Amino acid sequence: MDIRELKKQSDLSYDTAVAKRNALEKAHSRQVIAYNGFLFRADPETICLVRTLKENDSRFFVLDTNDNPVEIRDPADFLNKLIARNQEALNAYHQMYETFTRKGD
Amino acid sequence: MTQGILLFCFDTEHTKYHKILERCVGLIKKNIKLEITVVTNFQTYKKLKPLGFINYKFIEPEIGNTKEGKPWNNVDRHMAYELSPYYKTVVMDIDYFCYSDNLLQLFDTDYDFLVPAQAFDLSGRNSFDHRRFSQIPMVWATVLYFKKNKEVERFFKMVKYVKDWYPYFIDLYRIQSRNFRNDYVFAIALQQYKGFVGYDKFPFALSTLPPDCEILELGDVGVKWKLNDTVNYINDQDVHVLNKEIPHD
Repeated sequence: MDIRELKKQSDLSYDTAVAKRNALEKAHSRQVIAYNGFLFRADPETICLVRTLKENDSRFFVLDTNDNPVEIRDPADFLNKLIARNQEALNAYHQMYETFTRKGD
Repeated sequence: MTQGILLFCFDTEHTKYHKILERCVGLIKKNIKLEITVVTNFQTYKKLKPLGFINYKFIEPEIGNTKEGKPWNNVDRHMAYELSPYYKTVVMDIDYFCYSDNLLQLFDTDYDFLVPAQAFDLSGRNSFDHRRFSQIPMVWATVLYFKKNKEVERFFKMVKYVKDWYPYFIDLYRIQSRNFRNDYVFAIALQQYKGFVGYDKFPFALSTLPPDCEILELGDVGVKWKLNDTVNYINDQDVHVLNKEIPHD
């Protein structure tokens, strides 16, 4: 491999890393969801917390992204919305990720 | 309850902001689908192409501020509360391009006021860590959400107070930039008004393209830019574009 090819490979790797980072940030932005007048992040932590609390009680409190306490009165509805938003964001990220992997072919 | 987007747009001798507004409005109509009110002056308004149903409010911008030696008409943001005809408002810079409906989430909340505290550098260089340039954390007044009530009305009076005494406050907080920046005006007002403790923020960073990124295309679904001979793009993501040399139709 000559130096030009090495540089080309290095540039490609860098560009892919930046694009992947941007796509991940886009997914993070997309995971924000409003519920009961407050903002939440539909991330694994929130989903697991809601699922765990739901097993224990039909009404409970969680903190929103600004640490405000919010009463959840319909845990199933909340959980469904969190999962739907999480998967929507990650599906878009996955599609972008596929283009990165194809780039190296 | 009414809700909508408030934009400020004033051409200067160096920058055709009305061209940027036309792109911004098109994307809001496509992706946010809320009513829009544009605060402008008559000189800018008469250069605009027909944009469909838009409310206009005419004011004469307060002049005197500069950015890199050029006129910068950005001082009137403190009037957003009185100029907005909506109960719930998102005020945004016209160089913030909505390629998604993410901002709609804000209208479904009961918050009084929300502001972004972080920007994400799409060029991959983390160049928006401004903490070292002042004694208070900066916020990004690029996009603000507020609803109308007595509390927020009082807060905007605080914003106006900070704006009126800005030279004093930038010395007090040892802010490096000497020109007028809404980012600092709102950061100072929030800190003063909220008792130096904390305030509610956007739970995401504003994806931002630094000024040295050359904008190649501002399309219907995303932005393509060039930096150091490398071309990159992002689709379906809201983007704050700091380079005002934007290709026009």
